[in-house]
Amino acid sequence: MAEPAGPAGPTIAVALKWVDLRPDIDRVTGATHHDVRFFGCSAADQAALEHALRIGERFGWPVVAVSAGPAEADAVLRDALAVGASAAIRVDIEAGARSQHSAAALHDALATIDGLRLVCCGDWSLDRGSGSVPAFVAAHLGWGQALGLVGVDLDGDAGDGAFTVTRRLDQGRREVLRIDGPAVLSFEGGTAELRRAPLAAVLRTRDAAIVPLAGPPAPHHRLRVVHRGPDRPRARVLPPPDASLSPRERILALTGALVERTPPRTVVCEPDDAADLILDQLRAWGYLD
Amino acid sequence: MSKPDRPQGAPAGTKRIPTPTEPDVDVIVVGAGPAGAAAALVLARAGRSVYLLERGPFPGSKNMYGGVIYGRILDTLIPRWWEEAPVQRWVTRRATMVMTPTQALTIDYRTAAWGEAPYNGATAFRPDFDAWLADHAVAAGATLVPSTTAVGLLRGDRGQIVGVQTDRPDGDLTARLVIACDGVNSFLAKEAGLYHHPEAEHFTLGAKEVLALPRDEIEKRFGLRGLEGADFEIIGCTPGIAGGGFIYTNLESVAVGVVLSLEDLKRSGKRPEELIAGLKAHPAVAPLVEGAELTEYSAHLIPEAGLHMMPELYGPGMLVAGDAGAFCLAAGIWLEGVNFAIGSGKVAGEVAVQALRAGDTSATFLGRYQDALTDTFALADHIKLQGAPALVMSDNVQRRYPELVCSLVESLFTVTNPTPKKGALRLAREAAKGSGVRLRDLARDGWAALRSYG
Ligand SMILES: Cc1cc2nc3c(=O)[nH]c(=O)nc-3n(C[C@H](O)[C@H](O)[C@H](O)COP(=O)(O)OP(=O)(O)OC[C@H]3O[C@@H](n4cnc5c(N)ncnc54)[C@H](O)[C@@H]3O)c2cc1C
Repeated sequence: MAEPAGPAGPTIAVALKWVDLRPDIDRVTGATHHDVRFFGCSAADQAALEHALRIGERFGWPVVAVSAGPAEADAVLRDALAVGASAAIRVDIEAGARSQHSAAALHDALATIDGLRLVCCGDWSLDRGSGSVPAFVAAHLGWGQALGLVGVDLDGDAGDGAFTVTRRLDQGRREVLRIDGPAVLSFEGGTAELRRAPLAAVLRTRDAAIVPLAGPPAPHHRLRVVHRGPDRPRARVLPPPDASLSPRERILALTGALVERTPPRTVVCEPDDAADLILDQLRAWGYLD
Repeated sequence: MSKPDRPQGAPAGTKRIPTPTEPDVDVIVVGAGPAGAAAALVLARAGRSVYLLERGPFPGSKNMYGGVIYGRILDTLIPRWWEEAPVQRWVTRRATMVMTPTQALTIDYRTAAWGEAPYNGATAFRPDFDAWLADHAVAAGATLVPSTTAVGLLRGDRGQIVGVQTDRPDGDLTARLVIACDGVNSFLAKEAGLYHHPEAEHFTLGAKEVLALPRDEIEKRFGLRGLEGADFEIIGCTPGIAGGGFIYTNLESVAVGVVLSLEDLKRSGKRPEELIAGLKAHPAVAPLVEGAELTEYSAHLIPEAGLHMMPELYGPGMLVAGDAGAFCLAAGIWLEGVNFAIGSGKVAGEVAVQALRAGDTSATFLGRYQDALTDTFALADHIKLQGAPALVMSDNVQRRYPELVCSLVESLFTVTNPTPKKGALRLAREAAKGSGVRLRDLARDGWAALRSYG
């Protein structure tokens, strides 16, 4: 733990998994090659962290980052400390542990946090990706769970730390839930862009010592995996477009056009004028004097 | 969160600040390529505090090149480096190929000596090599700051450089000295007003494909064993565009690429990948790469003009090393940038140590950098070879001489019975005429080559 966890009062925990973001998967044999340099947090875990920080800022609750994994997983915890988590806990279990084992390990970490109020997770991890860890964690805690969230609304009446979340249901339906007590929330990737860490925080946390907790033994089951098919690269996760938009606008949002940036312009002109337009734009962005 | 006004990583220009009395760090090295890692290593070993900024998530993640590193310069930095460096193959076969669209003449040299310590050249992947070199700097005490881009300079009261702005929130960093190792077309050297020759004619574009092949297949096709590797440099393979080509063997892949004059490329309207496709289809190359699977395509600028494009290499509070200072040696039979980057980065680190010791980072003191460089290959070779880039990119070397030698060799080896064999001199005259080479040009270029390479 970088700093003592569990300041009294409500605390948010965010569960982060150290995972290969760019596994090299042979398309024919399915053989997977891992390179630790490409390990980090999935888009879903990053979204969970960003949402946790926003909720924490809104209500003045600290955010504690937790991870169940090997020593290398400290890297994602240090990144979380750099963006604003106040403490970090790692439970030492081997990489690739099964969901119930990971959830039990995370629960051991959560048990050390006083005043735990919310647990934020990504909806599923990039490697095994069954999406069951948040549910197992909720079961361990005996809490309600809100899974597959696509948005958080913190603007309502926040008197007692209540807020609403939106989750995706089958067939494109949405459901809005009010959270006013302990809960496990899992977020879809791309629903919030993780903020950039300030430079001083990056420098301060890059060597932060994270003392690991010993992990629980792997649960013994009558149910074993006897065969596993080859890995397949995951599709990229995109933020769901606003459901109130027209189909055309939703397609534009999904393809990235007209979203959060200057709308693309199509101009038909002579090469000289085209060059001038490009230079003007580069100037406007600050690339040229 | 509010959106930044500029895209992440966009230049922020220069900011004036009061000269800090206690800067954050002794030296900021911008760019963890070979130049930056070497500079940081020297500084850290001298006990200086140094931040090594890298815009990529890890050193080498953004970097590409052809594929061969000449490691002699490493002897002085990391003794017995060959025992630990992440090498693919040791180059024991070096071929220079002269081509026309249907012909090829290859001078093929092999030596067992290059396959043994202390070795000569090695193929290596940059994400592995750069990370390894930067790890040495970190082990010596440098602080690597990845995923962080320097977007602007900080200048103090008297206009001297006192740090950089980065693209992170609250991202200003101050230092006694900044070393710009940010690669070709250096944004920092330009921002500091040191770059006076950024004209397109001084740059080439390097583009390459990495083609996967089974290890034993590579060994069969290139005649290699174990960790032996091959390096082919090619002239005459970029029709209508001044440049050249290369083929390098990795353990389980082959890098095939072209280097192209930017201006010719623009004029030709061709795409770099078309030219690589042409090279791969050439009868002398096709059997080497047939059936391979394309796993990577990349392109990068090369500072081609050497001495003619070098910026001022120092200014108040700043030194410039590696490709940022146009140290890459692109002289036809040689394309050496990594070793020149390490060489210049090392000298920059040494001069920075002296400047910090003297408490003087003025331009006058830092002028020693230029003198120190002249005493090493990093600048001395550029001075000696200053005529080479223009000669290599000339129409004669690019087109006429390849045609001349290929047709001469073809006629020498074409059996014309029952017509009696022609004398070699006569064949040479005919080949020269056929390729439009005048004796005058040959003499002039021969003299220029002698002056450069002699
Ligand atoms: C196609 C091609 C083939 C080549 N073949 C060979 C070869 O076979 N052998 C050889 O020796 N050389 C070769 N070279 C040349 C060689 O790649 C370069 O000379 C060498 O990489 C220069 O090293 P450097 O450290 O100066 O710059 P780079 O290797 O370009 O490193 C610069 C570093 O700075 C970082 N950076 C840039 N801007 C910023 C910023 N603002 N803030 C933070 N970080 C920043 C970059 O991400 C990068 O890591 C080749 C080049 C090309 C393009």
